[in-house]
Amino acid sequence: MMSGIPDVVCCVATAPAWLAVPPNTVVVAAGVAAVGVAAGVIGSLAVLRKRALAGDAAAHAALAGVALAFLATGRRDLPVLLGGGLLAALAALGVLVLLRRYTRTRDDAATAIVLSVSFGCGIALVAGLTSRGVPDAAGLEHFLLGHTAALTVADAALLATVSAAAVVVAVVGLKEATLVAFDPGFAAASGWPVAAIDYCLVGLVAAMVIVGLPAAGAVLVTALVVIPPVAARQWTDRVPTMLLLAGLIGLAAAVFGVAASALVPRLATGPLVVLAAATLLAVSLLAAPERGLLPRAWRRRSARRGAA
Amino acid sequence: MGRFPLAQLAPMGDAGEGVQHLAERLLGPGGGMHAWAMATAALVAAACGLVGTLLVVRRMSLVGDAISHAVLPGIVVAVLAGGRPGGPLVLAAAVATALATVWLTERLTATGRMAEDASAGVVFTTMFAGGVLLVTAFASRIDLDPGCILHGVLELVPFDTVAVAGHEVPRGFLTASAVCAGLALAAVVTWKLQVFTAFDPEAAAAAGIPVRGVTAGLMAATALATVASFEVVGAILVVALLVVPAATAELLTHRLHRMAVLAAGLGGCAAVLGYLAAWRLATSAAGMIAVVLGLQYAAAVCFAPEDGLVIRGLRRLALAWRVACEDRLAAYWRAEETRDRCTRPVPVATTGAGRFVDAWLAATGRIARGPGGRLLTARGREQADTVVRSHRLWESWLGRHAELPSDHLHPPAEWIEHHLGADVRRRIEAEVGARARDPHGRPIPPEP
Amino acid sequence: MSAPLLEFHDVTVAYGRRPVLWNIDLTIDHACLFGIIGPNGAGKSTLLKAALGLVPTTGGTVTFFGRPLADGRRRVGYVPQRETVDWDFPVTVGDVVLMGTYARLGWFRRPGRGERRLARECLARVGLEDVADRQIGRLSGGQQQRVFLARALAQEADVYLLDEPLAGVDARSQETIFEVLAALRDSGRLVVVVHHDLRTAAAWFDRVALIDRRLVATGPTATVLTPENLERTYAGQIELLDELGRAVAARRRTP
Repeated sequence: MMSGIPDVVCCVATAPAWLAVPPNTVVVAAGVAAVGVAAGVIGSLAVLRKRALAGDAAAHAALAGVALAFLATGRRDLPVLLGGGLLAALAALGVLVLLRRYTRTRDDAATAIVLSVSFGCGIALVAGLTSRGVPDAAGLEHFLLGHTAALTVADAALLATVSAAAVVVAVVGLKEATLVAFDPGFAAASGWPVAAIDYCLVGLVAAMVIVGLPAAGAVLVTALVVIPPVAARQWTDRVPTMLLLAGLIGLAAAVFGVAASALVPRLATGPLVVLAAATLLAVSLLAAPERGLLPRAWRRRSARRGAA
Repeated sequence: MGRFPLAQLAPMGDAGEGVQHLAERLLGPGGGMHAWAMATAALVAAACGLVGTLLVVRRMSLVGDAISHAVLPGIVVAVLAGGRPGGPLVLAAAVATALATVWLTERLTATGRMAEDASAGVVFTTMFAGGVLLVTAFASRIDLDPGCILHGVLELVPFDTVAVAGHEVPRGFLTASAVCAGLALAAVVTWKLQVFTAFDPEAAAAAGIPVRGVTAGLMAATALATVASFEVVGAILVVALLVVPAATAELLTHRLHRMAVLAAGLGGCAAVLGYLAAWRLATSAAGMIAVVLGLQYAAAVCFAPEDGLVIRGLRRLALAWRVACEDRLAAYWRAEETRDRCTRPVPVATTGAGRFVDAWLAATGRIARGPGGRLLTARGREQADTVVRSHRLWESWLGRHAELPSDHLHPPAEWIEHHLGADVRRRIEAEVGARARDPHGRPIPPEP
Repeated sequence: MSAPLLEFHDVTVAYGRRPVLWNIDLTIDHACLFGIIGPNGAGKSTLLKAALGLVPTTGGTVTFFGRPLADGRRRVGYVPQRETVDWDFPVTVGDVVLMGTYARLGWFRRPGRGERRLARECLARVGLEDVADRQIGRLSGGQQQRVFLARALAQEADVYLLDEPLAGVDARSQETIFEVLAALRDSGRLVVVVHHDLRTAAAWFDRVALIDRRLVATGPTATVLTPENLERTYAGQIELLDELGRAVAARRRTP
């Protein structure tokens, strides 16, 4: 490999080599693919409810939880670490609710505070562990930017199970989630417990963000929750179709990230997944039949030509 | 990552001997290095606090978050093109990238295809991902590693020095001073414009202020502050420096220029304290600075003079206590009033709380033990007069101006009697006309 | 004597610490077209929201058919102000009207054929059966208002509360909406409307209440909408209540 030419380019140049993919990678890819689907589905509900960035706060807080779980148990199994991450994420979201209710601080500032302070705690914990020479602590850094190459089959199974459960919950409660997202005032007046439904949604987002940590890392997992739904919205005007498409786009992005990460273990998965999703978004914005920029320009030109 | 290079400190050289000696005396060997690092961090934090004040007030904390992430690809490209980290090319690239980010977010929202928070989320995560990819792909050619981006390398700042007027000064410190001074100057010069635009963009535009230019200026300032903070705390925690001190300051004061000064000061303090804590605990300085900032905010939430939760709780208790005391005094007053007509005994406090109230009233000289039970003293009667007067005046007003039947007058008056001041009472009396009796026919005591 | 359809008993509502509605006492006994009239900022929308539990009350109670709201939510339909909705939301006209049936369906059950038929009927009643598959952003102002009215009709309620349903609506849609409301009243339902326009109020409503932070007058339209009452409402003694509100807020901060 010549110095100065990035690894990615070299991978693409030696394309035929990656058709002989080890079975382990396939299983891991399946697990992460499930994460991509679920992130797209849950993310759609969050984006519709205008809570797109609640996941950001959850993700940053999760780092501290992962570090604390490692500190408390000394174990590095994925379920333990992710469990710690989930608890920390839920705690951070709880703090966010309290800040909104009891202080003058506005929503956007409160989210930024919770996000950055909890992430700082996480960084301080991980750095402290590393500097004390605690064995295995360096592995926690992989939760920052994602590193699927280190996942085992059992890990992938866990991710797939949680993702499947989240999707089932989303589909079962779709009517309630849509109602609350569209017109919370009417929902409240009709007797629906809007706050409780909101907490469930935000909890689902937290869960998705946690299982997305190994795939995309704490810093970029929000992208997995936000970009596919926005892309899907360009293709349809119905909520169920939007969820389906978002799932598919998330799937494609996640699979791309895993594949590229398996080929070049030095590259973190997170950025690759995000860039894949962003490309699909750009395509959607440009080419979607009703809302896409190119079809609209074409229609305008045809109309003008027709009128002339 | 984040390893505190305690063992690697080398003697500093010729940097200001007096300060050096002071630092070494206070902080031990290598104190000069620590002093430089702390000074750099404090300057950067002050600059961020200043800019952050305007971001928070304009509800643009999210934009600050977005810019701090999105400038990364700009910085990487500038470094690849030969710029020095912290040098003018990088600074310019960062500003350009920041403005491009804001423009792109606006364009995306304007297409109507997505909400504002979604478009911001899309743009900055994509740009950050691109930046990280560039860094990892070209890692061999540039000196940035992903860890550095995420949490900074404040601990290594003192080691990279340049010669300035015969002294060895860390490059990071120079950049931080330049940016801080520049931003402070810009703030002073454009303060009125920024404040006007922050509070009422439409009125500002109508008054001829170039609102878009002012906002672009704020974005550029954010980008500069971000780049200066990169070395100190990395990309993610720049948000902490921008938003948290400003939010803390917002809880402590309502005046904007005081808020800016406080934010800068809080940021500087947090930087120094966080650094010292990280040194003591052998962990990342960036992380500990964020933790200290969080603790400052939490302290303000609880103990801010006007809005602090603890203060509010105490105030509510005090109000409840005052209401209980006044209700009790009014009960004594009414018992006295009816005693002339029939022998109705003074209500005896049966609950524990009632007994406390009685004890307090006795201790403050408003009731006294007399023949046949407790009596109001002159002072107590004066206060009770006020309460009953408020109650009956309000009943008169309600009876005259609202379509309320007479049995609905008592509950609202029970509540409002504790909140009427003398001037409001005078206004009510002016409206209902001076009268001696309320709608139930009971006498209204005169103003004491 | 049966319970009144809707009763406000000594209702006081405060936003933050300042009261905006003072001691409202209002009883509506029979089905009619009832208008709530008053100047801007008089608390008319707040009154409806307090009835529905959307804003907390500092004092007093609201009952529907003599019972608290929780007992009879199914029987109360609500049409909120239009601005609160995201018009880019991916739902069609038919989807929105179907939402009126959700409360009856309960948790997790999907709308079936009966619900869809009801939705189509309600759309026909407001004259929108042609646009059932259109995304809501592609409607005119009057059509948007009629969609929300159709949603309320799908609730099949006995009491309807509407918040400024005719604001910013073209004349033809106004006529259609008024006809629907009158038909509801004729079928024995109570229709309470917060209304902004004095002139049409006199023509449309059977009974009105004049509100300006407190109840000024209530009763049959002709007897209530007198010059004297209107003077009291629209140019009345509001300064004292403003001052009172400020005094309460200040006292609560510094006992």
